[in-house]
Amino acid sequence: MNIKIFLLALAVMYLGVPLLLGDNNYLIGMIASALIIAGIAVAWALLGNLGGMVSFGHAAFFGVGAYTSAILTMDYGVPVFVALVLGGIGASLSSVFMMPALRLRGPYFALAILAYAEIFKILATEATGLTGGGGGLLSIPSLPVFAGIDFGTKLGGYIVILNIVTLMVITYFFIRRSSYGLALKAMHDSELATRIVGVPATYLKIVMLVVSAFMTGAVGAFNAHYINFLEPDYAFSGTWTVFPIVAAIFGGYRTLSGPVIGALFIYLVDQLVFKNLLPQGHQLILGVMLTGMIVLSPSGLLPIITNLFTRTKGKQHA
Amino acid sequence: MELTAQAIFTGVLMGGFYGLVAVGLSLVFGTMKVINLAHGELVLLAAYIAYAVESQTGINPLLAMPIAMVIVVGVSLLTFYLTNGIAKDKELNSLILTFGLGIVLTNGLLMVFSADIYSTQTAWFMEGVVVADTLFSMRGEIVAFVVGVCALGALYWWLNHTWHGRAIRSVSSNREAAKLMGMNPTKAELWSWGVAGVLATLAGVMLYVISVIHPPIGHGLTIKAFIITVLAGMGSIPGVLVGALMIGVIEGLTTTFFQSSLAGLSSMALFLLVLLIMPSGLFGKKAGH
Repeated sequence: MNIKIFLLALAVMYLGVPLLLGDNNYLIGMIASALIIAGIAVAWALLGNLGGMVSFGHAAFFGVGAYTSAILTMDYGVPVFVALVLGGIGASLSSVFMMPALRLRGPYFALAILAYAEIFKILATEATGLTGGGGGLLSIPSLPVFAGIDFGTKLGGYIVILNIVTLMVITYFFIRRSSYGLALKAMHDSELATRIVGVPATYLKIVMLVVSAFMTGAVGAFNAHYINFLEPDYAFSGTWTVFPIVAAIFGGYRTLSGPVIGALFIYLVDQLVFKNLLPQGHQLILGVMLTGMIVLSPSGLLPIITNLFTRTKGKQHA
Repeated sequence: MELTAQAIFTGVLMGGFYGLVAVGLSLVFGTMKVINLAHGELVLLAAYIAYAVESQTGINPLLAMPIAMVIVVGVSLLTFYLTNGIAKDKELNSLILTFGLGIVLTNGLLMVFSADIYSTQTAWFMEGVVVADTLFSMRGEIVAFVVGVCALGALYWWLNHTWHGRAIRSVSSNREAAKLMGMNPTKAELWSWGVAGVLATLAGVMLYVISVIHPPIGHGLTIKAFIITVLAGMGSIPGVLVGALMIGVIEGLTTTFFQSSLAGLSSMALFLLVLLIMPSGLFGKKAGH
């Protein structure tokens, strides 16, 4: 991604949005929720693009992160911002259980992860002592006042999740540029050839899974403190898997900005337009979009637009 | 002891039904290497059509089968055309595509039929039946088991003894060689999707007579079907039956001796165990994966 565009986007998100919409709690909350989806979408795309692994179970990491952070702050008095990081670490630890599945190829991996997500949801419901079971956890502490700024407000929460997503995108950028990224790219073309020249493919996949789990867990932890409520069916809901996949596919999961732009677009359009048109079953349109994207342009809408743009530009130069 | 026997009996009956749910997915997976993540939703679609026919006309839901079959086979073939059009990375893209179709179907059902829970109004299916003096079941469960086992048997015969069935098997074992022998692989795949649609219809109508239906359960059916397919190993019909019976019995025992909410957990755990220890399934060819 072009560094100028990236800085411009940051300026819009950090200055433009708060200045224009700062008073409108409804819209700010909406954009923050879209950024939550964006965060998971980036983590999902990192695993899918760099690791070559399509996951149908990111809801598991999201839920584990949320519960880890909520329990640590409520029962052990851990400060909320520390707990966000620990939520990510908790999700990373939970990904250790999934590592045997890395032996599996393509669709088998995708569905094994789906099975793990189901297991985690059942465990969270059954472990009533730890998670409060189906009754849920109430009054999870909000984001605190820090350096004179109250992050517990809608706007404060927006800034925090924006920081998280920005950090994630930057991390993704550096991983992709590093020698890891190069090796992973080579692995995508031919895993066998890459293994033969001595790249530890399994190790790289493990690292990607752990990083992706950490990111998703931290986002889940943020969400728990943002809405102050958790229950297993919500924290491990399939929504946390469906939305990010649609967003990443829509924006183009092989690009850095695609998942974020896709998430902002999909979530806001879904909530502001589709939900009003079809109060029940508005996710139908998400399904149509997902199917349509795979049929028409599997690499996402963004590459088509940029392609169009550069092509016309090229013609002008010629 | 009596309790155990009852749990196993119920599990076996459910297993016959699960086999019926799973075999359509297994067939398509075998021929086309496409996992149809909308398969459970297809089954549920048939169940809802049975409900619609029954509630509108009051006839036995089994008689709704022809109309359900036309619609479900139609949707199944549409899915085939969509997945067939994928040019790049077919294995994963078809997974995402059918996942999207599943969302469309679930939400479509939600919009048309609302989130209410329905079950059959025909009392005949709900009546209790006692087998061998001690084992109790609902008549619907017996019907579902018999239909399931018969459908699997018929499919097994069809795959082994008819021209189209053999064509499907040849394409699934070696697509290129089948092509050289004058087979049209696309046609064989079309057949397997069509038959999968028929099987999904049977499964859906059975689902309606033995259980309650509401929109979100399609996803769970897909997962169950996939678990059984993995247990079975690719393209093994007897494997599907054995895998389905295993899942049914394990769930029955878990429900009886622990609690029903853990039934899902036990089948998931079995699934992961088999996937990690024997990736080619219990009955799959060793080189299959």
